[in-house]
Amino acid sequence: MKASATKTDKLDRILSTEGELVPSSGFAASVMDRVREEAAAPKPIPFPWKRALPGMTLAAAGLGWCAVKLAQVGVAEMNALSSARLHLDAGMMRSVESVGWVAAALGVSLLSWLLARRMIGRTGLV
Amino acid sequence: MERVLAGDVNAFEGIVRRWQGPLVNMAWRYCRDRGRAEEMAQEALVGAWRGLKQWRREGSFSTWLFALAANVFRSELKRFPTVDVSMEDAPEPARAASQEKDLAEHQSSDLVRRAVLALPVRYREPVVLFYFHEMDVSATARSMGMPEGTVKARLARARALLKKRFPQLEDQQAATELTHKEA
Repeated sequence: MKASATKTDKLDRILSTEGELVPSSGFAASVMDRVREEAAAPKPIPFPWKRALPGMTLAAAGLGWCAVKLAQVGVAEMNALSSARLHLDAGMMRSVESVGWVAAALGVSLLSWLLARRMIGRTGLV
Repeated sequence: MERVLAGDVNAFEGIVRRWQGPLVNMAWRYCRDRGRAEEMAQEALVGAWRGLKQWRREGSFSTWLFALAANVFRSELKRFPTVDVSMEDAPEPARAASQEKDLAEHQSSDLVRRAVLALPVRYREPVVLFYFHEMDVSATARSMGMPEGTVKARLARARALLKKRFPQLEDQQAATELTHKEA
């Protein structure tokens, strides 16, 4: 959609009438030098997927196993904590709760920061 | 183009010669520094060489090239911003004295153009590209990879900011409109 002639004003006239800049005489040659350099450069060594895959699979399996173990320990601890909860005094409970709230707030902050970065990245504002 | 896509480096020179002018002029509008404009245009052309295989032929080459160039210029200016003044500090053009009207007119136009660089980034780029694309909102939106509505809204805001800074633009527009109505 082009702006209609009736809508153009002085600002449009000023900003649309720019002097034409002619590239300097050696510009095309210097661009071509860069392009030739790029073309002559050896291609980057591809990532050795075949060699790395077994190791990466092993590492992923190890991490998964650790995560499962940690979760099991965590669940067991939680169960132990909930049974011991009745024995904890009120002050202790308050501290545990506030730590939980702080952790939750930090998590929410991190999420919102990541979301904001992602949105800014999409719009290309910065 | 087929030869370039097949990897013929020398054939790319035709593309460089065809598009060097538009890209240098586009870069100039982003930074208003001739030397830097050429550097940025060179980066864009080298980037075009690297990414030519990503060009999908359903779109025109120029659309793809301008969008790529806009990305390159945006990143370059993010890395090394132009030294520009804020909108408040942008000098206001003096009223034209009758005997020096042409010179004063030229200088004030230049100040308005430079004030575009003092706009916040989100408004600056739509203005730069809108006037580079001869006031074509669709082309501006394609170069920025943004919906036309967003571009229009940002343009309106940018124009309002510029007219607030240079109220005489508004006065002269009103005067022109009045003359048109009377005619």
